[in-house]
Amino acid sequence: MTSRDVHDVLNLPSDHSGAPRPSKKQKTSAPRPNLKGLAREVQNLGGDNPIAIVPEVNFFKKRRFATRKPVAKWELKAFTNSARGDDGALVLRHWKRRTDDGAPPVEGAQDGDGQQQRGGGEGTPASERREEKPEDSAFAKYNVKVVVPHYTEDQYHSNLQNNDWTKEETDYLLELAKDFDLRWTLIWDRYDFTPKPPGGGGDAANGEDTSTAVVPAPKQRSMEDLKARYYEVAAKMMAVQKPAQYMTRPEFELYEMMQNFDPEQERKRKQFALNTLSRSKDEAREEESLLLEVKRILARTERFNEERRELYNRLDYPATDSDINSFKTSAGLQNLLQTLMSTDKNKKRKSIMPGEGVSPSNNSGVPNSAVSETNPANRRESIAASATSNNHHHHARRDSDARTPATPADPTPTSAAAAAANKKKGGGAQQQPERRKLTQQEEQVYGVSYHDRLGSGPTFRYEKINKLYSHKSGQQQLRITNALSELDLPPRLVMPTAAVTAQFEVLWGAVTALVDLRKMSDRLDGEIKIEEAKKAERDRAKGIAAEKEGGKEKGEGGGGGGGDGAAAAAGEGEKAGEKTGEGGQTKEDGEKKRPGSSGSLTAAGHKRSASVLSAASDKSSKRQKK
Amino acid sequence: MAQQPLPSSVQPTDVYGGDEVSAIVLDPGYINTRAGFAGEEMPKQVLPSFYGHITSSNRDVFGDQAMYPRADFEIRNYMNRDSVVEDWDAATKIWEHALVNRLGIPRPTPPSKNGLNNKPKPAAEGEDVEMADEADLDETENYEKPMAENPLLMTEAAWNSPKQREKAIEICMENWACPAFWLSKTPVLAAFAAGKATALVLDVGGSNTSVTAIFDGMVLKRSVQRSPVGGVWLSSQIRSLFEASEPKVEVVPTFMVENKKPVEAGQPADARLKTFDFQISPSFRAYEEERVLKEFKESVVEVWRGPGRYLAPGNEDYAKNLPGRVFEMPDGSNQMWREQRFKAAEGMWDDNAAFPSATEEGKITKAQTVPGLIKAALDSIDVDVRPALLANVVVTGSTSLLPGFTDRLNHELTAMFPSVKVKLHAAGLSSERRFGAWIGGSILGSLGTFHQMWISRKEYEENGPGIVEKRCK
Repeated sequence: MTSRDVHDVLNLPSDHSGAPRPSKKQKTSAPRPNLKGLAREVQNLGGDNPIAIVPEVNFFKKRRFATRKPVAKWELKAFTNSARGDDGALVLRHWKRRTDDGAPPVEGAQDGDGQQQRGGGEGTPASERREEKPEDSAFAKYNVKVVVPHYTEDQYHSNLQNNDWTKEETDYLLELAKDFDLRWTLIWDRYDFTPKPPGGGGDAANGEDTSTAVVPAPKQRSMEDLKARYYEVAAKMMAVQKPAQYMTRPEFELYEMMQNFDPEQERKRKQFALNTLSRSKDEAREEESLLLEVKRILARTERFNEERRELYNRLDYPATDSDINSFKTSAGLQNLLQTLMSTDKNKKRKSIMPGEGVSPSNNSGVPNSAVSETNPANRRESIAASATSNNHHHHARRDSDARTPATPADPTPTSAAAAAANKKKGGGAQQQPERRKLTQQEEQVYGVSYHDRLGSGPTFRYEKINKLYSHKSGQQQLRITNALSELDLPPRLVMPTAAVTAQFEVLWGAVTALVDLRKMSDRLDGEIKIEEAKKAERDRAKGIAAEKEGGKEKGEGGGGGGGDGAAAAAGEGEKAGEKTGEGGQTKEDGEKKRPGSSGSLTAAGHKRSASVLSAASDKSSKRQKK
Repeated sequence: MAQQPLPSSVQPTDVYGGDEVSAIVLDPGYINTRAGFAGEEMPKQVLPSFYGHITSSNRDVFGDQAMYPRADFEIRNYMNRDSVVEDWDAATKIWEHALVNRLGIPRPTPPSKNGLNNKPKPAAEGEDVEMADEADLDETENYEKPMAENPLLMTEAAWNSPKQREKAIEICMENWACPAFWLSKTPVLAAFAAGKATALVLDVGGSNTSVTAIFDGMVLKRSVQRSPVGGVWLSSQIRSLFEASEPKVEVVPTFMVENKKPVEAGQPADARLKTFDFQISPSFRAYEEERVLKEFKESVVEVWRGPGRYLAPGNEDYAKNLPGRVFEMPDGSNQMWREQRFKAAEGMWDDNAAFPSATEEGKITKAQTVPGLIKAALDSIDVDVRPALLANVVVTGSTSLLPGFTDRLNHELTAMFPSVKVKLHAAGLSSERRFGAWIGGSILGSLGTFHQMWISRKEYEENGPGIVEKRCK
């Protein structure tokens, strides 16, 4: 009789609503657990739940002989603690499990071995030899000490003088700082500095003097005073040991922090803390409620702003008046998808994230009314998502999606697209991590410099120098090298570090400018001479002609000649300056104003020299940048 | 730059910090002296700091069982009411009694003789479990010194003087030949017992109540505040209460009662008292009376839990309606105690509620009450640590076991510092409260990292007793 039978008898609905007793045969055929010695009827009493039968065991738990491990051996072992710093004078003993190095060795033999290796030279008496050297405590490694700054007498006098603090007191402070591991609460608590009466020798000499002399009363130092002094000393000693530019970042931070310690601010802070502590209950409650109120107000304004923004976004929605019928067919949608994909690709697929609402953008012409957009970036993201989801729609239900192309009806493709987009975005983010902004100090420390453009591959710095020469004619090169050798500089730098090459370029620029100028002034001189010679000739000719025509044409001819020269000179100047710099223009202006006489010409030449110089330095600086 | 100690959050937790070297912890107090091995949870030996002195034979006897009425018998205490050792000769004797005679510091038998390493019966298949024969003849001479094997960790009051401390190390090193010594202040150890390194320790002991701020395992000296408001003072308050009650309650110590009959509540006692053919010294009688009062404190006295003081209007009437407690004196007289049992302890909190005391030292001021002490202690330390301390208030000392004590303390503190989170840490187990400092010492002495701190014998010999000032800060 099974429970099923009972169900039948009582006319209860069977919980297996299938055919009546379909499984009886199967059940019996299924391999039942080995319930031997039990009548089938008895077994069936259990119904669907088979009777649990615990096999009877009539023997006791066996002793575990299998491992055959010997009993753990413990021994009272002596140990020292190296953190004590007394060379193992204190030997304490604790129980230790004997280490498993085979059978317990015969004491004498092992000790003898050890001693022969260890204590051969020491000549210790035999009785002491028997004692093994105790091991070091496992806890010695936890002994850590703070490092307080140290200074010598000289260093103190050169760096750490302070009107308020004597050296003795500073020493005392540092000693305390070391003893209490820089726990300022304790240092301040135990700070009890009594200055020594001045002059031990003088004391004995004139006793009555010192007895009447004012013994400086121990100063009451506040914790801020102590901290300020300590940080002052520590920061200065840090800088003495390692100039600031060589410090590592944490070191520099520490240094800066210690330098910027402001006891006054600290005092004020403590005053505030004190006030906070001594608030009454009502005040505390009031403050709390005020804070809550502020929070609520802030939250409300935020929500308000949010709503307003949303509203504006809706108002911003541009209506489309182009025809959307072209997108109402599947081919049109495919087309749209293609264009969207391509535009997305063009935008380097910065991020493809589905927005909270799927909304094709207005310029694509697909209508969308229900969803608002927050910003253009989001808009583009949502385009892509909608495109992909639309794609899925398209293949899944061709007939229905023509009506609702933009609704995110099917969540799975959207989420798949989102996942893909996420993955892509993550990859992009990894490729372009946020570049950390370096501070001035860090740039200095790490030697970071910025370049406009770098050629590919490594280059030698002296090649850069050589390149400078290659633009010049042989004559000029010679002149430049001459000028450099006058300055005792080798034409090729011995050690072209970045700083040296930069300086060299500046120098080189100056030298070329000088050389150019010289060339120009030479030429001008030559021209002036020619002109003068011409003039003399003309004068001579005029002298003859004057007798014939008079002095009318004289000025004209001179002016024309001068103008010529100026134009030529200006051309030269531009050549030298490679058409850069405003100096050239002003110079030309100047010449236009004062055409003619040779005096003005030389002045212009001089002026030009200045402008050329500036132009050259400009150039060199540009090169440097490159 | 500097290698700073690791903050507790990054310290490795997988290392078991214990390393027991069978150090001994000795915690002397005014009422009791506790002694035991470091690493155990309770002191093995707790014996009264009072001891008997037999004037006729000029002999000292120690321990409870020696305190019975006998001729020429005086009760003395080697500590004074400040919990500072006064009689060093007696202190040495009583400590030695506690450590050597009673604690029975084992003079280790050589393993060859202690029977633990006898060869097992051959039945065990001939396994060789023999321990190495460690009999070391060199060690035998050390056995003659009483404590040559055991480092000693002693406790002291936070206000102990340097001279006292030096004396302590001298005794330890010279008389007992300890290999190492350490002196620690009781509030620090009580904080350790509560598992705190930074705490405000309120120790309501027998002769003193003290409040001490502990910062990172060290006493902040400026914060140490103490007052006589402790168990003994409470006893004097109870005496005043007995005096004031109608009819007067007579304290008859147990040893004087030979025979008693039950009487109705409030009726005079019907008991026959013993007569002794020798004079009972007043000190012995006072000691025995104190025991009766102690029982009264334990079973009747309760602290008004607050909120508000007991004297605040309405509270007394309310207390009168609370169920009272009956206390039967050793002579059989008994009485129901109702609101008076709150009044007895109220002086600890409210100086106006204290019973007027006959003696000068029994009078207390506002600053000597428990809230006054805590306020003074906190005011004298840096403001930055105050919140941390108030979040770790450790209550210890057996007088703090009065019912309602921690409730009242909590109310007082939250009223005093409404804007700070106050958290009390009072051990639930009465023995942990009674032996707080000893337990802390037991923890400290069995820590592996502590062993670098001990003042070793060699250091003592090189530097003299002054080293204790330098090291045990």
